[in-house]
Amino acid sequence: MAKPIVELNKLVKEYNNKQVVKGISFSVNEGEIFGILGPNGAGKTTTLEMLEALRPIDGGTATLAGIDVASNPEKIKSLIGVQPQTPSFEEKTKLTELIEMFSAFYGEKVDPHQFLKEVHLDEKADSYPEQLSGGQRQRFSIAAALVHGPKVFFLDEPTTGLDPQARRNLWDLIREVRDRGVTVIMTTHYMDEAELLCDRVAIMDEGQIIALDTPKNLIKALLKRGFKKSQHVEQANLEDVFIDLTGKALRD
Amino acid sequence: MNIRKSLLPVTTYVRIDVKRLFRDKVAIFFVFLFPLIFLFVFGSIFRGDNDVSFRVALLNESNSAFSKEFSDEIKKNDIFKVDNEVTNIDLAKEKMNRGQIDATIVLPKSFGETKQGQNYPSGEAKVIYDQNNQSAGTTLNSIMEGIFKDINQKLVSTPTPFTVKSESTATKGLSQFDYTFTGILGFTLLSLGIFGPTSVFPRLKQRGVLRRYHLTTLKVWQYFVGNVLSNAFVGLLSVATMFIAALTIFDLNMRGNYLNLIAIVILGVILLFGIGLAIGGWARTENQAAPLAQIATLPMMFLSGVFFPTFLMPELLQNITKFIPLTPIIDSLRMIVTENASLLDLGPQLAVIFGWIVVIYLVAFKVFRWE
Repeated sequence: MAKPIVELNKLVKEYNNKQVVKGISFSVNEGEIFGILGPNGAGKTTTLEMLEALRPIDGGTATLAGIDVASNPEKIKSLIGVQPQTPSFEEKTKLTELIEMFSAFYGEKVDPHQFLKEVHLDEKADSYPEQLSGGQRQRFSIAAALVHGPKVFFLDEPTTGLDPQARRNLWDLIREVRDRGVTVIMTTHYMDEAELLCDRVAIMDEGQIIALDTPKNLIKALLKRGFKKSQHVEQANLEDVFIDLTGKALRD
Repeated sequence: MNIRKSLLPVTTYVRIDVKRLFRDKVAIFFVFLFPLIFLFVFGSIFRGDNDVSFRVALLNESNSAFSKEFSDEIKKNDIFKVDNEVTNIDLAKEKMNRGQIDATIVLPKSFGETKQGQNYPSGEAKVIYDQNNQSAGTTLNSIMEGIFKDINQKLVSTPTPFTVKSESTATKGLSQFDYTFTGILGFTLLSLGIFGPTSVFPRLKQRGVLRRYHLTTLKVWQYFVGNVLSNAFVGLLSVATMFIAALTIFDLNMRGNYLNLIAIVILGVILLFGIGLAIGGWARTENQAAPLAQIATLPMMFLSGVFFPTFLMPELLQNITKFIPLTPIIDSLRMIVTENASLLDLGPQLAVIFGWIVVIYLVAFKVFRWE
């Protein structure tokens, strides 16, 4: 039923003769939110950058929508969207102009007003990005990365350094992207985020995939091995209190 | 990819980049106001008269009618600017020493008196000059000789079989401003081409803006061409502003063809912006770029004829400065403005410009980094 859109086969990356990604294989299905989890230095970002055709692949193969990444970097770039860690734009440039510019960079023309309407930013069409609120800027940054209608959307630790409200806002945005039929691949080191958001997660450590399944199945498997949490689990935590008191929606 | 599709990023970028410039007050200051201020400062220094004039002190120690009449003549003459404050030789020497006046004309006591047995006045005027200002002294000496020759001719008629008459080749005299102006133009293009990109590109890298462009299918050459074109456009506007000010306020004598001028300005921007692009495209931070920008600009500022013409330099140095990127640009601009040079006349200069463009852009492509 699930159709793979991204497939990795024994993918390797070396720096100074040392493998940082050690021949990993997995596939991501069309329309899912796929998370890559792991501590710093596990090779998450490197893996992502190889799939984005930003870094040469040193061994194995990766395909995206059936196209070999290593030999077709230009084609791959037109099929993917990427949310950078620090969404930043040139100043004094209207949102409409940025949309026009980014679509032109892909060799395409879009109606910027229509496009901004679809992402609910039409009221800000003539604003500059530096005039937007944090939430609006997140929304715009994601929209700008999707201007050319990519099939796969990458996010590298998108919520690192964000406050709880901004994180929740971003989760909603990521779900919106998925609902538009775009496959999402993201890295994170927040377990709660992965559990809430991702359909499936791959856990990476020292350049290898050590587990891959749905969050539910991973937890089930752990419990089956006889794991018991030492502490009684509360029905809510402090973050829930904070969100409840300050309101769920991101403050603008 | 067809041509139209691969040019779409370029044309879109240029259009938006130019619009963006007009929203940025700092950029407007540096592109339009700063060159104008520069123009006014230098224009006022070199403003005006085509004629050379001498600042002199005139010490008339004689009481004769002739010397009175003679000193009035001198004061009326355009060649002399008489400093009326100087009344004695000591003060005159002091002022000459300081360079406040070029020379002193002394009419001694007996000057202009009619000696016994003569029916015409006679005398010897003295020209005193500072050792450091010999050329002014000798020039003034010959001017005075000329004046006396006319007077002598009137008093005692003698035949003069041989005479000399000098004539200027130019139909309309070129002012010093006309020469200075092209240097200021060159300086404007230099600062636009180098100081802009060497600070902007590293800043865009640090903010991750260029990394974001790199994620798209935008190619380096498209980004380069887009930036070159928008800067060429801005450079032309800047030059046009300066031309209007120069023509209306400083009476610039523009002898050349404006199309040739536009061509050289565009080539100049391409070359100088290429240098800025190579430095700013390579540097990751402004701190890396700033010293390189200085190293690139300083020799051009002082050796390429911005502040004084290269033909005043020693020949050995001239042979080197000819090949500094800014020199052929300023030379071409000057030859167009003052001599109505055609592009064909500018062959050697154009060869140097094109040579540099090829080298600079090869380097810029090689060292460019998106982040």
